[in-house]
Amino acid sequence: MITVKDLHKSFGSNEVLKGINAEIKEKEVVCVIGPSGSGKSTFLRCLNLLEEVTSGDVLIQGENLTDPKININDVRSRVGMVFQHFNLFPHMTVMDNITIGPIKVKGMKKTEAEKIAHPLLEKVGLSDKAVAYPESLSGGQKQRVAIARSLAMEPSIMLFDEPTSALDPELVGDVLAVMKDLAQEGMTMVVVTHEMGFAREVGDRVLFMDEGIIMEEDVPERLFGNPQNPRTQEFLSKVL
Amino acid sequence: MEFITESHYFRVMPFLLEGLVWTLLITFVGLILGFILGAIFGFARLSKSKLIYGIATVYVEVVRGTPILAQILFIYFGLSDLTGINIDKITASIIAIAVNAGAYIAEIVRGAVYSIDTGQEEAGRSIGLTRNQTMRYIIWPQAFRRMIPPLGNQFVISLKDTSLFSVIAVGELLYMGQQYYGMTFQAFQALTMVCVMYLVITVPTAVYLRRVERRLDV
Repeated sequence: MITVKDLHKSFGSNEVLKGINAEIKEKEVVCVIGPSGSGKSTFLRCLNLLEEVTSGDVLIQGENLTDPKININDVRSRVGMVFQHFNLFPHMTVMDNITIGPIKVKGMKKTEAEKIAHPLLEKVGLSDKAVAYPESLSGGQKQRVAIARSLAMEPSIMLFDEPTSALDPELVGDVLAVMKDLAQEGMTMVVVTHEMGFAREVGDRVLFMDEGIIMEEDVPERLFGNPQNPRTQEFLSKVL
Repeated sequence: MEFITESHYFRVMPFLLEGLVWTLLITFVGLILGFILGAIFGFARLSKSKLIYGIATVYVEVVRGTPILAQILFIYFGLSDLTGINIDKITASIIAIAVNAGAYIAEIVRGAVYSIDTGQEEAGRSIGLTRNQTMRYIIWPQAFRRMIPPLGNQFVISLKDTSLFSVIAVGELLYMGQQYYGMTFQAFQALTMVCVMYLVITVPTAVYLRRVERRLDV
């Protein structure tokens, strides 16, 4: 579903990604872990071209994102993204945050879009917040709205960029619970995270990134239980 | 009662009210055009194209680096000298306000758009909105709120700048006051009332802006 071939990304003279190869299958949940500065967020952002790719190929459902003729807006509407800092639109209500995509990108009527939004709000446990503005929500609630906003586009892939890193510890659980539900429903997910518990429990596969490459990848039991690469061992010994 | 209606403070008023109408007309029309110019050049200043950015930068720097008095004389006398076409005083005044305020508003627009967190654009683009849609529905509405206080400030500045157009004999507020004391030699009373008339507009505007600012929390 996602194929990444020899992906390089540089910011000026600073090479952040030094040749990433990865294959993510439909309905797979892949967690990306690694120390900060290892390039894991950059890798994720290359998957919907929020970062321009320096060289290499990124194929989403067979379409090569590096093809200059590609309609990137169309691809992005099928690839949801959830950000560390939520990035809700503060001048819109929760409902408008969720429906703007379906209305403006898919050309739906407002009432149609709201029909999609209501069950999504229920799913993330925020049915009573439809008319609230983001500033009145807690961090965990904001992130759940952000997830609903992405889901409203009915994406086939969801990308999560450290979705719980900006949350107070007691709010992390609700967001992870929503993500776990999504995973169980068969959503294809790529999750950059520091939540090792989540990666172990929900991930089908874990990628360990360091210094701009994937150092090691495996099913969680083996990667956490018996890591082979010394860098992985060192990292896990610090965080677990 | 008679000593009030006979005083020069009172008798200057018909002149000043006529002047105020022109002052407000020039300010409002000039600023509406100036906002359009400012939006265009403000976005041009954010452009990745070096040419577009360069043109906008030259405009902003030339206008901000020269006095508005020189600008009005340039528009009214300079341009008609060059082209042989005479434009009327009011038109010249409106153009002067538009061009002058346009440069400052360009910086207001640029600053406000630039101040919106890049995460907003990324979120908009990631749900599939185009660059233009993201600007129109996500960035601009947030940036516009931040523009309100500095735009109000610009309104006050431009309103006061119209007094400079008295040098080309535009019948605005200050010029009408001068006309009055030219006839009556009552400069103190006439100019006091001129200042009162400016304050009647500028003070409530400032109070209102402070309230808006507090509500916007900027």
